[in-house]
Formats: sequence, structure tokens, C-alpha cells
Amino acid sequence: MTTDTRLGAQSEMIRRHARQRLVSMLAGPVWIGVSVLVMRFWFRYRIEDVEAVRARYRALRAQSDGPILVCANHLTLVDSFLIAWACGGPGYWLTHPDELPWNTPERTNFGKTWIARALIYVAKCIPITRGGAREDVGDVLERVKHLMGRGETALLFPEAGRSRSGRVEESSAAWGVGRIVGAHPHCRVLCVYLRGRQQETWGDFPAKGDTLDVSLACIEPKSDAKGVRRSRDLAQQIIRQLMNMEAAHFEKHGGVAGVPDEGASSGEAR
Amino acid sequence: MEQSEVMERVVKILTPWVKDEGALANVGMETNILEDLKVNSARLVDVVIAFEDDFDIEIADEDVDQVNTVGDAVNLISGKL
Repeated sequence: MTTDTRLGAQSEMIRRHARQRLVSMLAGPVWIGVSVLVMRFWFRYRIEDVEAVRARYRALRAQSDGPILVCANHLTLVDSFLIAWACGGPGYWLTHPDELPWNTPERTNFGKTWIARALIYVAKCIPITRGGAREDVGDVLERVKHLMGRGETALLFPEAGRSRSGRVEESSAAWGVGRIVGAHPHCRVLCVYLRGRQQETWGDFPAKGDTLDVSLACIEPKSDAKGVRRSRDLAQQIIRQLMNMEAAHFEKHGGVAGVPDEGASSGEAR
Repeated sequence: MEQSEVMERVVKILTPWVKDEGALANVGMETNILEDLKVNSARLVDVVIAFEDDFDIEIADEDVDQVNTVGDAVNLISGKL
């Protein structure tokens, strides 16, 4: 690609992001309000100790002005919404729209209807086709890298897809997240572990009426390796942090990290 | 190194990660690593690291964006030898 072509592509990317950011902000009162109402009153979800979670989120963010990437375990289609709701109420996101993370949902999950496509657009999502053409995947990762370089926040799931075992597994670490962290010196990773008490394994949504536990931890992964090894090393550090947080979750709430509890049936409150 | 030798070694390296063994029988330069050989995309980094170790080369993250087919991998590696 020539320099002119590259600069042109970058200018177009900046304009695209600016448009999407503006639409997200203007539509915020509607899509944020409706999302929270649906989660709170239709699904009747409750975030345990939500004020403490939000205070912790604000404290961790305030520790540095450097780039921050949010990485979380992945069990349901609405994890991004739940994490945002856990970390800040509607008023917070309406007054801090720049902090709302960009997301990369799987295109096949959210691209089927125009409503779904419109929702993910206003929710600052950049759809990705996992397992798709490498150039397309690389393009999305480059967009996320670019956004973080401009001080914005992104949320990625290091396991890429929802965990089929219901547990965080090191073998499922996707290196793309390491590639993004490696591109930004002093990039902090805000690790989020989120789980409904009735959530045994992956699904589309947490059970209605479920209580969700959220824990936050900040790490700054480092690696002396180069190339793809460096990206893999960084991704594995993030996954291991999430595994530790999962172990702490099950120690507190019962069940076994790494192996689904054979004694509990699906949907049983733990 | 001849391209045919590179191809042979690439296929050998890919084999442990291939889920569609039937596709290996007809593997060629146009064979898509993810779609045809059904290699898990999350394991692509391990495949690339195996290429690096076997051929004693270094592959950048951005180079991997160009690798969709066995032929792409062969050409990438050949270019670095």
C-alpha cells in the first residue's frame, strides 16, 4: 500500500469512527436507557454490590491516563451490556460517552436483522467474523488499535467466543488481544470477571432474575518476546488473570473453577 | 529451498491442528487453512509459531493477516528464507 493510500484509508477510518461515535452519543439517551430498562425490569438482573463495583471501576480508571483495554470472560451474548451497566449507571455513560468501550461482536450473532445491526452500531460496535478472512480480522484489530491510540477504550473477550465449557480456558486464548496490547506501551488491561449465580455454562442470556457477580482487576502485561510470540504471551497473561478471578469467584460462591460442578443442574441457583 | 519442500513441511506442521483429515488428502496451494482444513482460528498463532521454529524465521503479526490458504503460508515462508 502506498503512503497516500495508507493515509487515505486512515482518514476514512477516522471519519467512520467519528460518525459512529457521534451517532452513539446522540442516540445515547434512547439506547442506553432502553438497554438498562430491559436488563433491570424485563430480565430482572441485579448486579451484586453494584455501587462498590462502580467505585472500583472509577478508581482503577483514575490511576492512569494511559490506554486501557477491557478484557472479560465470555458466557452470554449480552456480556458487553452487562459489564457496562455494572461499571456505570445510565447517567454515568451519558455524561462520559468517550469512556464507553468499543466492542467487536461476532457478525453472525448480530447481523441478521436491521434492528440488531442498528443497535450494535449505536452501541459502538465493530462487527468481526471470527474465523473469517485474515485480512478482515486484521482490519478490525487495526481499527481497535487505532482507537486505543487515540485514547479510547475497547472491550475484547480474550477467548474470542463464548466459552463452550463455561469456564475460562488458557487453550482458548486468542492472540488478537495480545496484538492490541503489544501495540501500546503502558497499556493497562482492566480484567472483568462476570457471572450470573445460575450460569453454569454458556448461553444467549443469563437466567431471568439472576444476580450477577462482577470483579475487576487491572494488570499491565509485559513481554520480552517478539512478533506473534509476544502477542500470544500477552494474551496468555490476560487469560491467566481471568482464570485466577474465576477461581476466586468459585471459592466464594461454590463450584469448581476449570470443571463444571457435576452436582448442579442447569439453571439451579448457586 | 524449493517451494515443493516448503509446501510439504507446511502441511506437516499444520497436520496436528487439522480437524478435517479428509481435506488433507487433497491439500493444495488453494486449500483454505480455516475453511477447508478446519483449523481452529484461535490456534493459528500456534501454527505460525511452529512455522517460525521449523523454518527459523520471524513472522510479524501483520504478516499473518495475509495468510488464508496453504499457498499464502508457503509464499510467506519462502519470502523469508
